[in-house]
Amino acid sequence: MTEAAPLFCMEGVSKRYGGVRAIEKADLDVTAGRIHAILGENGAGKSTLIKIMAGVVAPDEGRMALDGRAATFASPAAANQAGIVCIFQELSLIPDLSVADNIVISNPPTRFGMIDRGAQRRIAEEALARAGASDIHPLALVKDLPLSRRQMVEIAKALARNPRILILDEATSALTAADVSKVFIVLKRLRAEGLALLYISHRMHEIAELADECSVFRNGQKVATYAAGSKSDNEVVELMIGREYSHVFPPKPTRPKSETPPVLETRKLSWTERLRDISFSVRAGEIVGLGGLDGQGQRDLLLALFGVLRGCSGEILIDGKAVSIASPAAAKSKKIGMALIPEDRKTEGLMLPMTVRDNLSFAALDRVSHGGIVDREAERRLIDDMIKLLGIRTAGIDIAVGALSGGNQQKVVIAKWLMNQPRIILLNDPTRGIDVGTKQELYQLLRKLADAGAAIVFYSTDYDELIGCCDRVLVLYDGAVKRELVGPEITERALIASALNIDMAEVGRAAVTA
Amino acid sequence: MSDLSTTRMPAFMRRLDPAVTTAFVCILVLLLVGSMYSRNFLSPEYLLQQLKVASFLGIIASGMMLVILLGQIDLSLPWVVTVGAMMSSAVAGYGELGSLLSVPFGILCGIAIGLINGVGVAYLRIPSMIITLATNAVAQGLMVVYTGGFSPRDNASAAMRYLATGEAIPHVPNAVICWLVVGAGTVFLLTRTTFGRSIYGIGNRERAAYLSGIDTRRVVMTVFAISGGLAAFGGVLLAGYASKAAQSMGDAYLLPAIAAVVLGGTSILGGRGSYLGTVAGVMLVTLLLSILSVMQMPEFGRQIIYGVVIIGMLLLYGRERIQR
Repeated sequence: MTEAAPLFCMEGVSKRYGGVRAIEKADLDVTAGRIHAILGENGAGKSTLIKIMAGVVAPDEGRMALDGRAATFASPAAANQAGIVCIFQELSLIPDLSVADNIVISNPPTRFGMIDRGAQRRIAEEALARAGASDIHPLALVKDLPLSRRQMVEIAKALARNPRILILDEATSALTAADVSKVFIVLKRLRAEGLALLYISHRMHEIAELADECSVFRNGQKVATYAAGSKSDNEVVELMIGREYSHVFPPKPTRPKSETPPVLETRKLSWTERLRDISFSVRAGEIVGLGGLDGQGQRDLLLALFGVLRGCSGEILIDGKAVSIASPAAAKSKKIGMALIPEDRKTEGLMLPMTVRDNLSFAALDRVSHGGIVDREAERRLIDDMIKLLGIRTAGIDIAVGALSGGNQQKVVIAKWLMNQPRIILLNDPTRGIDVGTKQELYQLLRKLADAGAAIVFYSTDYDELIGCCDRVLVLYDGAVKRELVGPEITERALIASALNIDMAEVGRAAVTA
Repeated sequence: MSDLSTTRMPAFMRRLDPAVTTAFVCILVLLLVGSMYSRNFLSPEYLLQQLKVASFLGIIASGMMLVILLGQIDLSLPWVVTVGAMMSSAVAGYGELGSLLSVPFGILCGIAIGLINGVGVAYLRIPSMIITLATNAVAQGLMVVYTGGFSPRDNASAAMRYLATGEAIPHVPNAVICWLVVGAGTVFLLTRTTFGRSIYGIGNRERAAYLSGIDTRRVVMTVFAISGGLAAFGGVLLAGYASKAAQSMGDAYLLPAIAAVVLGGTSILGGRGSYLGTVAGVMLVTLLLSILSVMQMPEFGRQIIYGVVIIGMLLLYGRERIQR
């Protein structure tokens, strides 16, 4: 595997964000003329690894070497200079500029201090040809191109910087099958030209087709590097599983057969290309998890249910009756009684400079006011109840909520919605970035709410939570429900296998969703 | 943890916002400086006169404060003030009924312009800086058409004159009472109503407010309408004070209104600020103006000093924000 000296190597690199370790003493060797695939589940540290290589973040410790010489990159520009170019998951093109403008954007050719448009066009044409996309006109505006073409421009833009190491982070996730095979031809040619390629993808079959060697990351560390094809899908999944956890989950009740119509049901819910024909139902007292890799439509699904997304098709039924939910205001109305605990508490859940009181009562102002005038006594009583129920530790209700710890802030977000006594609770990755103790309290709370009759939809990027908390888990892939796991079927192995959309004999008993 | 005294305490502390304290200290300093120029400066007559002048600005700045709390700005203020003044005077010409309706009609015209601003910002998503500037230009054009470019011939109605210059309570100008009423209403709105909470919420984080099920667009639209109404009310009083409306009489109020709000510690980015601060800001600006004119500072000098003071305050408060 590692013949000759590697082009780039990384030793003992660590990076922490606050108290959370993103990667810990990671090693990686990248060799010229090979395609190296990086595998790992959500939060395994892949993104951080790449960001360190590309100079986006600085590592806390560890060494990196390029051509055997120690290297540090102060900025993405410095990494580019050294020949490391990264194509990120999110497109970085400016829609209102032409393709050629975008390709040379960081370093346009100049003559007498002005951009040399002729040279710019030549460079763009060369780069596009090299990327196998010579059909794209360099003067076309990026916004006029379809998504898959834009991705090709992105690749051309990277190639125009003459990289020695090209990193592709989920670069094919927006492409159609035909485009993917084109990109593969290009990537293989680049490999033949002696580039080192680092390829990150969740699509196992792509990796099998493309990679020369693979590294598996887990929990911030590299756990294995092996020659591509030397391990079965099964073994790869084994490598990706296996974090030690100390979560304590409340026991799940045995579900009684309920005759009442589900509290929440969707039929063929679709939104642009992000959600495809999603049909599922949640009964009172049930916790339904949303699983799958990050960004497969779970967030969009929750937002669609909550009335945030415009232009959804399909039906949403509450108590068996079709309703239209046009805004969060409609979603929280008494008739529907929905609550959404949003993903980012700092920008979506809370107003950090405002007081605990103002934040807690913000979504429930209707309940604590008469004719638009806030009844401060009623408000205080309700707030005190909530603070007690959730055990929010705060020095008082008139201090800024931004002064609380992350876990307590998250409790405020949840309490704020419980003030409305919702019947349907949607949670968007609510345990991200909070301490283990608070997590456990939240698990208990969720079960308590479900037992009290709430219908809960729970998206989490942490598989252990899904296993420990949920009665059922819907695994999403590419905006569609790929598999529904019920009760004892919810195992880490089944979750990962279905998240990666690979068929495994062990989980062949896949329940087909309605 | 919460008997009455502890919950009151932080509210009281919030009133001691450093910006508000600074503004009040500045007022005292200005009074001292002024009294060194002229002994009349501390006389009750002079101070009451200043308070009366301040109430016009105070009413206008109240609307501006609400808009700024949202994180927006209302640049249509100058000509909405003028529209209020001119339209109320115009109606005053139509006999008994006109005289009665002059004040409400002037305010209604302001609310109408404010509604257009509000719809533009909230529903059409036009940046407030652009749409309010545009409606300001349109209002100016309409008024020029109406008057034919000359100063309007209509006189203020008796009601307008009474509101601006009368004294229902001896020695207390009615204008000051008007400001008191508007101020009390604003304080109540901001601290006691769901609408007020929504304003702070939207100013802090519009997305979070929207996801909390607040009808953010309706709130934004309403605030602009209130701002337009208050600006026009200010114009009505000004016309009553001068007993006539005049072209571009509102031009002198845009910068002072923004200055008063910002000097009073309301964050120009929205979401933070108290009405007490705005009161302090209004008095500060009025006194500053008065002293500058006592010192016979020419107009350009006043403008320069305004601008510099605003920039200075923004720098001061901006830094405080970053520290957090």
